[in-house]
Order: sequence, then C-alpha cells, then structure tokens
Amino acid sequence: MAVISVRNLTKTYHVGEVAVHALRGVSLEIEKGEFVAVVGPSGSGKSTLMHILGCLDSPTSGEYFLDGADVSHLSDDELSEVRNHKIGFVFQGFNLLPRTSALENVELPLLYNAGSLSATERRRRAMEALAAVGLRDRAEHHPNQLSGGQQQRVAIARALMNRPSILLADEPTGNLDSRTSIEVLDIFQSLREERGITIVLITHEPSVAEYGSRIVAFKDGRIVSDTPNLRQRVARGELAEMPIAREDA
Amino acid sequence: MRAIRPSLMIALRALRRNKLQTALTMIGITIGVATVLTMIALGSGAESAIEDQVRAAGMNTIIVTAGNYKTKTEDSGSAVEEQGRIAPRVEFVPAVWRNPQGAGPLMPLFRPVFHPEDDPMEKHDHPTASQRLGDTEAGLGAAATLTSADADAIRKISGVQYVSEGIHNNAHVAWGAKRWFTRLHGDDVSLPLIRRAWVFEHGRFFSKREQSHAAQVVVLGSIVSQRLFGAENPVGKQVSIYKQPFEVVGVVASGSWLVAAAPGDDQFDAIYVPFTTIQRLLNLSKLNDITITTSSSGEVSRISQQITDLLRARHRIGVKDPDDFTVTSQARQALAKGGMLPQVARSVVGNIAGLEKVTLEQLGKTLDRASRTMTALLASVAAVSLLVGGIGIMNIMLLSVTERTREIGIRRAVGAKANDVLRQFLMEAVALSVTGGLAGIAIGLAVSNIIGQWVQWSVSISALAVALSFGIAAMVGIFFGYYPARQASRIAPIDALRYE
Ligand SMILES: Nc1ncnc2c1ncn2[C@@H]1O[C@H](COP(=O)(O)OP(=O)(O)O)[C@@H](O)[C@H]1O
Ligand SMILES: [Mg+2]
Repeated sequence: MAVISVRNLTKTYHVGEVAVHALRGVSLEIEKGEFVAVVGPSGSGKSTLMHILGCLDSPTSGEYFLDGADVSHLSDDELSEVRNHKIGFVFQGFNLLPRTSALENVELPLLYNAGSLSATERRRRAMEALAAVGLRDRAEHHPNQLSGGQQQRVAIARALMNRPSILLADEPTGNLDSRTSIEVLDIFQSLREERGITIVLITHEPSVAEYGSRIVAFKDGRIVSDTPNLRQRVARGELAEMPIAREDA
Repeated sequence: MRAIRPSLMIALRALRRNKLQTALTMIGITIGVATVLTMIALGSGAESAIEDQVRAAGMNTIIVTAGNYKTKTEDSGSAVEEQGRIAPRVEFVPAVWRNPQGAGPLMPLFRPVFHPEDDPMEKHDHPTASQRLGDTEAGLGAAATLTSADADAIRKISGVQYVSEGIHNNAHVAWGAKRWFTRLHGDDVSLPLIRRAWVFEHGRFFSKREQSHAAQVVVLGSIVSQRLFGAENPVGKQVSIYKQPFEVVGVVASGSWLVAAAPGDDQFDAIYVPFTTIQRLLNLSKLNDITITTSSSGEVSRISQQITDLLRARHRIGVKDPDDFTVTSQARQALAKGGMLPQVARSVVGNIAGLEKVTLEQLGKTLDRASRTMTALLASVAAVSLLVGGIGIMNIMLLSVTERTREIGIRRAVGAKANDVLRQFLMEAVALSVTGGLAGIAIGLAVSNIIGQWVQWSVSISALAVALSFGIAAMVGIFFGYYPARQASRIAPIDALRYE
C-alpha cells in the first residue's frame, strides 16, 4: 500500500480578482521507502504540493490518502496530530526557533505528543537524535551559533523525533554550499537505507534531484514526467572524494 | 492538562528574553495589586481596630457589684454620678496580716480605712478616690455578697466570654522614699483579655500559677509606674503595699487611641494583684465585683438578665426583696464618664441619638466611615491601575503574537494544536501579570506596614488577602491575555509558517 496517494489535486489561490492555479490536477503514488525528488522551475507549484502533502494546507479539490487514511476531511486538531506523528519537515530556511538551544528545538515535537514523556526522557531522545546527525557537542548552541549545515541537521533531527512515515524536504539545500548540500543529501540517503524512511525532496536544481531514487518533474502545476532514477548519485561516495571541510574540523 | 509545564517554561523563557519590556508591562499590574493589598490591609485593619476600640470602651462588658446602693433601675448612668457624691467613710476593719513566709506568729492589727485623699485639707493633682467612677462603693466595708462560687456559676452561662473576679481597695504603693496613693485591684488572670486594649510596656500580667498560689506579685498601671520609677523599668523591683513586699511583674498601659491614661483613672492609675493574694492577706472570702464580657455585644441585655436571675436564685432572694448586688453594663458608663479621648467621645455621642441605645454596630458605623472612604479611594486607584496594566499586557501580547508568527507556524508544523498555541500565549500573559502581581504583593506589604507605622493605623494582612491579590493578578492576565492568545491560535499553520 502506498504511503502517499493523491488524486487530481488542485489548488487555486485568489489574489484580488486573479485566480492563481498553483496545482492543476496532480495524481501521485509514493511507496514506502522511496526517495522521491520533485523537481521543477520556481513557481511551478512544488511547495504548494508539499504543504498539502504535509497537512499544513488543504487542496481546493482532490483526494489525499496518507497511510491509507483519507486526510482531506480531517479537523484542524486531527491534522495537527497527523503532522506530529507521521510527518517530518525540513525547510530551506531551517525554521528553527531562534534564541533556543539545538536540544530544545529537537525536543519540540515531543512537547506536543499525546503520550506525554518525562522531561528527562524527552531530553534523552533529543540528545540521541542530535547525536545521530553528529551534533552531540552542539546541543546547547543556539541557531545563530551554528553554521547553515549544522542548522539543517538540527532541523532533520527534529523532523525525525516522532519517527514519521514521511520526511518532506522543501529545497533543503537551497541555503547551503555544495559540500554541506551533499552532506545533507547523504543523511537523507542513509536514513532511507538504514531506517526505510520515505522521503519527498523538493528542489529546483536537477543536479540535486539526481540523488533521489525517483524523479518527478513539475511544470505549471502539473506533473510532466515521473521516472525511476536509474543513475542515482551517491552522496557518501562523493563526500569521500572531497577534501575535509573546515566546519567539521 | 498536558503541556502545562512546558508551556510555562516556554512562557517564562519568552519573558526573560525581553526583560525591559516585561518590566514596563508589569508596572501597571504591580501598582494595581499593591493597591489592592494595601486596601485590604487597611480596611480589615480598620475593622479590627474599631472592634478593639469598642471592646476597649467596654461595650461588651457587664459588671456585677456586691451590694445594692440604689433602687433597682436600668438607669445606671445617673447612679454613677450619684455615686461620685457619696461621702467617704472612715471605718476600722479588722484584718489579720500573715507573715508572708507563712511561718511565725500571726500578727493581728487594726488597719484604718482612712484615705489620705479624704483629708479635706489635702490638695490633689488628680481626682480623689471618691471622685473616681466605678466602684468606690465597693470598698471592703460594702456588703460582701459575691463569692467565687457565684463567679463560677456565671462562667457557665452561654455567651459569656471571660469572667474576672475582683476585689478593690485604695492603697499606698511605696518604693524607697516614694509613695503613691492609688487604686488596688485584686483581679483574675483573665482581666487583660477583658481589657482588650491593654499593652504591657514592661513585663506581663500575673499568671494563673501566681494567682492560685496567691503570690505577692503586682502589675503597675503606667501612671503608677511613672510616679514611682519615672522612665525606669520596674520589673523585678520590690514595692511595698500594706507594708508587704510585692514583686513588680509588669507595667500596663493603654494600647488604644480611644482610651488615654491619666492620673486618677481607674485603669492605669491603679495596681493589679491576684484577687487570691488580697483574699489571703486580708483574710477575705468575698468579692467586690465580678466583671464579665460577652462574646457578642448584642447579648449584653440577655446575659445581664440571666446573671440577675442566677444570682437571685443563688442568694435565695425572695420575689419581693431587692437584689443584694448590682448588674450594670458598661456601655453607657464608658461613654458618659470618659476614658475615651474627649473629641472621640464627643463625636460618638454627637453622632448617636439616644445614648441608651448605643450598640457595637452604631459605634462601629461612626468610626467605620473614614475607613470606608479610604477603601473606596484605594479601590478606584486599584481598578484603574489594573485596567491600565491589563491593557498593557494585551498590547504587548498582541505585539508578541505578530513578532512570533513564524514561531507559531513552526510549532504548528511539528504538531502543536490551536489550543496548545492558545495556552502558551495565555500562560505568557499570566506569567507576566503574576510576576507583576508578586512584585505588587511585596510592595503592598511594605506600604501597608509603612502606613501602619506612620499614621498609627492598624493594618492586618492575612494569607487570604495575599492569595486574593495573587488571584486578581492571575485573573487580569487571563482576561487581557485571552484575546491575543486566541488570535495566535487562529492563524492557519501555513500562513504562520510563510509569514515574513
Ligand atoms: N499564498 C499564496 N497566495 C497566492 N499565490 C500563491 C500563494 N502561494 C503560492 N502562490 C502561487 O502559486 C504558484 C506556485 O507557488 P509555489 O508552490 O511556491 O511554487 P514553487 O515552490 O514551485 O516555487 C506561484 O505562482 C505562486 O505565486
Ligand atoms: Mg517553493
């Protein structure tokens, strides 16, 4: 069964008199463990799709099944729970809480988890997640004390806190240099391999899309091609050939 | 109630970040809460002060005197005046002086009850004993019809609060070469409870133990102490009364601004010893009077009647025979004879028609007026400050919601429900107002105490008053924080996240 199944999704924004058709009938099935790269020019509706897939926004029309359950008609509270349990977000601008330590940022999803955990248990899990992205020794740092790459890894750690079914990443490398971009992509690839996490990566750069296992091309709110990536790039291998970056020294 | 603690932590952290803003916002609440607390402190202080003053004036006191020197009438006020005109008598009373150690031979002697004050040639700078109001009549020669057993019987009447047995006489107190002629009261340990406005300048009243041992201890009225010892602390000194050594254990003075101590008054130009000591020294078994206080002033009449019936039965007085005792309530006496500062007595008397009907409530009302005006004033100051403070909180919270829209979006994206956001902002508003409130409580406590010291207004701050002030602060936070918090919770997740 598909983790994500959408049919004929449309999204229309009304700006004054003008109707902007951001999505014009998108149908897509994503299986568990896929690493789907959605690629397309800016303004083609990729982010709009991601917001709908992430239950942050609702479509104008169309159906959306997440883990087999219809989520098109859920209440605001129910959508919050879905986001908390099943979805992890990684954004271009990191979206970490300012003036808040990395550890506390990572803990955030646990605060809103129905089965409330003790403070020590939350801390322990957050620490574990930080360690998994190699930031154990940066736990007390605030976002402004971290590099872009480190911030994005904190965001990834946060996205994984509640063991989501899917990880949605909107231009996660948009604010990063080439090496740290590949490091982030390496994390995605290993998450998929080691934990079988389903990943939807959104990017306007075809070169970044090449790290996905399947490439969905977008244009003007429609899918123009959807093919398995037979020449998937492997971030780990590329990193090994690169010189050691200063930031991790 | 999940996430209360995390929301509180989030709230406190947010407040710490903007210390100056936080402090400025809190000022209104702080002033408001401080005013509320001061208001309550002064208000309830005034209440208890009035109650004390009224008690000090003896509004709930009944005095049973041995003998009946007037025809039975309720008009005790005029009797008091008549009493003042009664000529002093000179009598010889046989008395047996015991050796204070209890050993050695008994020494019979005759003691003249001739008061030096009664010498017509003598000049006095204070009213003589015969001019004093109260119980001149009840000298040792007066009909001695009351007993301790009577007092015990009165103790059993419901509504009776304290009962003090009394023997009264005039006596010389001597210390070294100094002598002072004054009233000697043999009283019960419970007397200070009856005279509520007493304060002990030095030492204490005599104890139950000293009373039951008939110990030779004496409490001096402040006037007596001043005459004999000046400003010195007399506690522990030996004075002589009836040529017997008495140890001074305390000095009593007026603690009420309604009752001024003056030479010749019956309370502070007086000395107090256990009534048992007088009974032992003078070999007496009777009492001059019994003083009773009632728990409620409204019951004075009923209890007076009950005492009369009780004593008539105990003394086996026939239906047609007159009482051999006199029951008076002190309300009218107190107002008529002074003891209050003249201006206060005048205002009380002037404000109350029909002096006979003086009640605790009426007297209270007169004195209450000032405190009510003050309470009303403070209440409006408090209301305005709390309103201003509340609006300040609302303002800063609305700003905060706008500033932190992105944060709201992030929280919603990781699973916060609309209610979680609402609770967080509400908690922040409450944390603000409560922190302001705590500062206000501290200031309120300080201000009430300063006012208490400065204008001698009695203040009383109860835990309840503090809790109430705290509660008001929290309520202001909830009330004015609700709207901004609801705004925050209503922003759609995607809009919050995309907010620039
Ligand atoms: N909130 C909005 N209001 C109006 N138009 C919007 C809004 N969000 C996106 N759009 C429009 O929808 C289209 C798709 O935008 P988006 O999904 O952000 O594209 P992409 O992420 O592919 O660059 C664009 O034309 C954009 O202007
Ligand atoms: Mg986009």
